[in-house]
Amino acid sequence: MAGETRASLAPDDLRGSHGPARHHLLTSLFGTPDLHRLAVYREHGGYRSLEKALKEMTPDQIHAEVKASGLRGRGGAGFPTGTKWSFIPKDVPGPRYVVVNFDEAEPGTCKDRYLVEHSPHLLLEGACIAQYAIGSHQAWIYIRGEYDRPYRMLVEAIEELRQAGILGPRPFGVDYPLDVQLYRGHGAYICGEETALLESLEGKRAQPRSRPPFPAVKGAWGRPTLLNNVETLANLPWIVDHGGAEYAGFGVERSRGTRLLSVSGNVQRPGVYEVELGVTFRHVIMELAGGPPPGRRVKAFWPGGSSAPVLPESMLDVSTDLDELARVGSMGGSGGVIVMDDSHCVVKAARRLIRFYAHESCGKCTPCRVGTNWAERTFERILRGEGTVADLQILDHVQDALQNGRCLCGLGDSAGWVIMSTMKHFREEYEAHALRNQCLAGECNVQRVGAHA
Amino acid sequence: MALSKHAIEEIKALPQRFPEIRSAVVPALDIAQEELGYLTPEAMSEVASLLQVDPGYVEGVATFYTLFHLEPVGEHHFYVCTNLSCMLRGAEEICEHIRRRIGVSREREISADGRFSYEEVECLGACEFAPMMRYAHAYHYELTPEKIDALIEAARSARPASARAGVIDRPESQEAEQGHGR
Repeated sequence: MAGETRASLAPDDLRGSHGPARHHLLTSLFGTPDLHRLAVYREHGGYRSLEKALKEMTPDQIHAEVKASGLRGRGGAGFPTGTKWSFIPKDVPGPRYVVVNFDEAEPGTCKDRYLVEHSPHLLLEGACIAQYAIGSHQAWIYIRGEYDRPYRMLVEAIEELRQAGILGPRPFGVDYPLDVQLYRGHGAYICGEETALLESLEGKRAQPRSRPPFPAVKGAWGRPTLLNNVETLANLPWIVDHGGAEYAGFGVERSRGTRLLSVSGNVQRPGVYEVELGVTFRHVIMELAGGPPPGRRVKAFWPGGSSAPVLPESMLDVSTDLDELARVGSMGGSGGVIVMDDSHCVVKAARRLIRFYAHESCGKCTPCRVGTNWAERTFERILRGEGTVADLQILDHVQDALQNGRCLCGLGDSAGWVIMSTMKHFREEYEAHALRNQCLAGECNVQRVGAHA
Repeated sequence: MALSKHAIEEIKALPQRFPEIRSAVVPALDIAQEELGYLTPEAMSEVASLLQVDPGYVEGVATFYTLFHLEPVGEHHFYVCTNLSCMLRGAEEICEHIRRRIGVSREREISADGRFSYEEVECLGACEFAPMMRYAHAYHYELTPEKIDALIEAARSARPASARAGVIDRPESQEAEQGHGR
């Protein structure tokens, strides 16, 4: 951008774990001065993996390494990346695309921003490797519109790559054209859902598509498309460099490797931490993030963004293993760990999240469009001090109606899980609010409001 | 208000960047909004005719995305995150303070001098610095009433970006970068 020096882009305000540690596969170089500049990134080995991929490996070999790594998508669903890649048809002529999901809008999630602000080239190298691996010559990065600084950093980094010839017709002298383009979103959570993202990229209202056809077969502009999250792709340089087996040496069972967790809310050291999968949330929340403020207790935590069902303090020893999280009724989701201490009211927090889902519902599927608004109005009644036992029954019904595949995408399910999980673990707070006009956390001024009702 | 010659040229150059012309609609609306401050019906029609798509289609897209303003906003517009991570760290108090300082009773209301407004938005993806907001194309972290006061004071003493109400402030990018400091 005009008038802006390179140095001014160097972020000095990033907070979390970085630097060398055995399990810092993504973040070991983070904090290196000017790492966002191509020359510095290359001095530290950057783009060696892309060069190796182009010169020494076939696309099938890269795919095999990704499969061997056990890497699962870091955007939310945790789908095995190697399996997703295998859905891309091999024999369809014409263009095919890599689309990078940098819409990061799941409440409590800021790790992709953290990653790109530290090292835009890490993402770009991953996106280039993915292009080669699926036979594509064009990647599109869909970046949320509010991310001004990451956008400017990516613009600069892409320009550097063009000048260096790494993006262009013959990267590293190899006859395999590569390109990356940016597309800015304009404020819609639903664009994180992959088919809604594609609609948005095509210039439409971002409403999810019904599947099949899946994006792998018919994605962006009707072409075969690989959609991966920023962090997922940023793992590729390490995997190509060290091999999938070494990556799989980190983590546990079916959750291999490391991941970035963004820890926010009532903790003393909020930040983005790279952890080996399998560590407990007690380690993440109480040790890495420093636990709640002095004199406070953790009341609840959302282990994977607001869409992951909430867990109470008694479950802090649950591990970050995606399958263990599923077993206890939640999920690893986006890695956004939101911590709430005992000075806050669960009903009020749930109301805020339901308002979010109601606002962000795209309106295409009736259960989600109507259900989220119905739920929001019910929460408002309860918190105004006008709740009755009927309102609790309404919430019970609505949470069920929002779930279980009644909608094209997961937004409705997520809203249902907010209600279901908060009511399951904190039923007494709901009953106190709805039936006795009391806030057990002492946060809501219900008596005064109730007196007006 | 019609689009400038420069904006029209920029918009006309957009379609070549994409495999299909419709992908240019959102970037084109963005150019129009940057220039006009918000999207008037005329601006949407102009974008539609420049890109040769249906005006109703353009309006449908514009109304879907929250970053498009269909009504004027203040010259200085604060996007304050109020989602859970920020709420747990005082976003409601920040919003209340902004309302008091710029003299409005609700979000999207423009202050009497036409210069300020604010909007409560969903998660902006900087949860480790809660409470936070986006203002003048930059993020502002760990907000306090004092930080808000300083930003408003700086904006008040700055020359108005335009005499016309409803123009979004576009500071020099260097200033925008300073917003990242704590």
